[in-house]
Amino acid sequence: MTFLEQVGHAAVVHVEDAGALAMQFWAVLRKLPRVLPVVGSRRRWRSAVQQMFAIGASALPMTGAMSLCTGFILALQGASELRRFGALQFVIELVVIAFTRELGPLITALSVSGRSASAISAEIGTSVVTEEMDALRVMGLDPVEFTLAPKYLAALITLPCLTVLSTLCGIFAGYLFLALSIDMSLRIFFQAVAEAIHLRDVAFMLVKSVVFATIIIHVGCLEGLRVRGGPEAVGHSTTAAVVKSTFLVILADLGTTAIFYLMGWSSTG
Amino acid sequence: MTDSSAAKAGDAAISIRGVSMSYSGRRVLDQVSLDVRRGEILVLLGGSGSGKTTLLKHVLGLAKPEAGSITIKGVDITRCAQSEIRTVRRHIGVAFQAGALFNSLSVEENVALPLRELTRLADSTIKLVVGLKLMAVGLSDAGSLHPPELSGGMRKRAAVARALALDPELLILDEPSAGLDPIVSAELDELILFLKRSFGVTILVVTHELESAFRIADRVAMLYQGRLIAVDSKEQFSRNAHPRIRQFLDRQPDAISGVAAEEFITSFLRGSRHDY
Repeated sequence: MTFLEQVGHAAVVHVEDAGALAMQFWAVLRKLPRVLPVVGSRRRWRSAVQQMFAIGASALPMTGAMSLCTGFILALQGASELRRFGALQFVIELVVIAFTRELGPLITALSVSGRSASAISAEIGTSVVTEEMDALRVMGLDPVEFTLAPKYLAALITLPCLTVLSTLCGIFAGYLFLALSIDMSLRIFFQAVAEAIHLRDVAFMLVKSVVFATIIIHVGCLEGLRVRGGPEAVGHSTTAAVVKSTFLVILADLGTTAIFYLMGWSSTG
Repeated sequence: MTDSSAAKAGDAAISIRGVSMSYSGRRVLDQVSLDVRRGEILVLLGGSGSGKTTLLKHVLGLAKPEAGSITIKGVDITRCAQSEIRTVRRHIGVAFQAGALFNSLSVEENVALPLRELTRLADSTIKLVVGLKLMAVGLSDAGSLHPPELSGGMRKRAAVARALALDPELLILDEPSAGLDPIVSAELDELILFLKRSFGVTILVVTHELESAFRIADRVAMLYQGRLIAVDSKEQFSRNAHPRIRQFLDRQPDAISGVAAEEFITSFLRGSRHDY
């Protein structure tokens, strides 16, 4: 192969890859209504609820703890600088803005991508290896509707919820710091939070969390479906799922934040 | 038995005609033509890499061949729409090699799954049908267990029970006795013969286990390097003079690899003698 041919071949392969990603996503989106409670099938909804527990509820302790720690760290770091200007109360604004705009969605996405992207790709990869996917197809059941769609719905619902909870944890850690260091009362703290929090930032946070949820679940499922061969391939796929989803989450964070910045939606006041 | 099924060769449950397939330049299936007759047990033999799994995937409509046709119940599944394949599949029960049971569901729920999803039967009816199928495979007591709690033989039985759930006309078993001890494997053979006797299903078994093949088969077919080298009644098959079939039946290693193994072993022994 000449150099040009190699470049062309690589380009074709990547375009095909991207095409497969998009096709898969579209296939799942079309089946998503089947999972919804009233209009869809009750059994799919039940399996989606199971997935919500697996992806969301069990991730709660870890995500909450991570957010508490990060919130406290942020307050400590901020306070050491702000104290010099006698502006310790700005720690509240710092924590609130950092968590609603950035850290809440990011910490949640990273902890879920570590826990669930790997678990999902392992589960799907194993079911490919043990021919469960073939068995579904042969029984006349659509694996996209049966296996994938409930997971997508579960991720799209639980990740924003987790993000809200993790943001609350982060902000609470800010209060904890101020209560311990300057005996700030809860009432004053709430007033300051209410001033610092903006509806626009909260919307921004939810948009981000939906984007991250899509990335994590999509990468996890695709890496699982890509498994060929034996059980050792499942191991590779779980690693790839975590690495790729973490990287893509950060990339998407940069992308969305840049868009919000350029559109002028992120400037306060 | 064999003669009577040979007489009505006209009505084939599965009719495979000139199916060819290759993956990245390597021919995996080469002009395979084979009929599975209604009511018979046809055993498809072949070593690893002979193409038997690939052929199975094509029969199930999970892969499309490059050339040829596969007709099941009058429908050419290599050319028809996905919805038609789905209709055909309603008449086929498949037990996969590793069982392919869903680990999150109990054995009962696994067997009930196709009934719940594809029929409008009442829950009480489904329960009754599931009980009957589990009884047929001898798993009446194991209904509430989950697949990881089952032994290898039980898992295969459960897979057969699920394959039978929709009362298929055609049962396809992929390596039913692989990885089982001789007693359990013999029990499974009995089960297969029992299913044929009592339900009159057509059964296609893919395997490389000679003993079980000869116990259950009406006819035996053999794939070698993607080609079908023999289709015969088992009596005639065991007399077949084709060198590959002789080699397979007499369990002989490939000549070259046999010599290589011997050389390896002697050099290994000599080497280890130097060490000590």
